[in-house]
Parts: sequence; C-alpha cells; structure tokens
Amino acid sequence: MVTSTSAVGRLLPPISSLLRPPPVDELREYGGLGLIRRKRVIDIGCGDGRMALGCAPYASEVVGVDPDPGAIRLARAKARELGAANATFKVGVAQELPFADEHFDVVVLSWTL
Amino acid sequence: MVDALTEAHRILRPRGLLIDARPDSRVPAYAERRTKAGRYLRAGVIATSRVALDDDRASDRAIATAAGGGWFRSLRAGRFWHRVLFEGRPELERYLEDHARFARRVRWTVDAKGRRRWENDPWAIRRAVQYELFERV
Repeated sequence: MVTSTSAVGRLLPPISSLLRPPPVDELREYGGLGLIRRKRVIDIGCGDGRMALGCAPYASEVVGVDPDPGAIRLARAKARELGAANATFKVGVAQELPFADEHFDVVVLSWTL
Repeated sequence: MVDALTEAHRILRPRGLLIDARPDSRVPAYAERRTKAGRYLRAGVIATSRVALDDDRASDRAIATAAGGGWFRSLRAGRFWHRVLFEGRPELERYLEDHARFARRVRWTVDAKGRRRWENDPWAIRRAVQYELFERV
C-alpha cells in the first residue's frame, strides 16, 4: 500500500490525507467494502474527510465529525467537489456527539484514538 | 479516550461495528530507497517518539477498558503496512524533523557514501498500521 506524495515537507498540513493510505485500500484491509455497504457510517476525528468521503460511494449515509473547523471546511468542499450528497460534516468532539442513541451501523476511528 | 468510546457505544446500534485503526508503534518504521526497477530497499530504522508511545499506550488502555467493560467484543485484529513517498532523502529527513510521531533521526543501516549516492532517488517511510474490529454489545 503506497501513498503518493510529491509535496511532503515542512509545509504539509498535519491533517493531510496525503500521508494516509487511500481509504478503499484501508477498508480492504479491514475486510472489504461490505463492512460499510448501505450502512450508516460515522467517521469520528474525520480530519479533511479522507475516510468519510472514501466510504460515501458505498454507504447509505456518512457523517464526519472533527473538532477542527478548518478541516471540516476542507471536507465539505471536497464533498461538494465529489458530489457526495450523502456525506455531511460537523464540527464537534468525540466525547459529545449530537446524534440519537443507536443511530449508526458503523463507527470509524481511523487515526483518532 | 474512554469517554469517546462510551459515546461511540451510545450512537452505535446493537451489533454495530466499531473500527479502530492507528499507527502501530509496537514495530518500528523503515526508511526505504526506491530503485530504478521500482523495488524498495531498506536503508534505515525510524523509532517512535516517546510522546507517541505514551499516547499509543493510553489508546490501548482505553480500548482494553471498553472491551473489558463489556461494551464491545473484538471480532478481528491485524496489521498492514503503508508507504509514504518522498521525492528525495532531504524531504524525508525534513518530514521527520517536523513530525511528532517519529524520532527525528533515522538509524541508518547503509553508510554515508551510499546515502549521498541515492540522495535524490525517491524515498519512502514504510510504517505499520494496526487495526481492530469490534462488535457493539
């Protein structure tokens, strides 16, 4: 598994998804796309939306939550660019999530804990 | 961290899936040089910083608390390897200077002459990612 980076260096943002594996490759390692297909997925600590947007084409609903407003702005912009209508992003912390009990089928903590 | 897992348990439906993935500091990362033929050759070992090791142990304890408390049941665990590519060795070393997870210096297993010769070849950091899948109880 390889991540291509041509700009890695002093100026690379720490949240950059360039430093992480492609989400589909990562999901394959965990057991495949069947884990998220037609599921309601939340990515806690989603950063710039790398994993959440990787899940969006397969899941029924994807929510990304991150405490960094800048990262959430990036994630929303990427979602618009990709036309990921089933993906939403919220600023928030993992300790206090604004969702009803038992709402999600899958919780992803990718590079979060 | 335990608070976050409590919250994850609350919003997950019964038998829902929790995926925890993070860098695996139980094994070192490696500095590798890419040959013209596209093979990667190990040229050094990169240790995990003490701060990152402490953080990772805290994460392990939180997961153990959640599993031990009966909130989640482990389904499967594993590890995979991931390469982050750099244009050259100086870029790799600059990255290490700024990256809190790794020790700042590579423990080289090739000599200085070799490193100079391959300085502008593509380099990579190959690191391990650990993951575990849990079912919400």
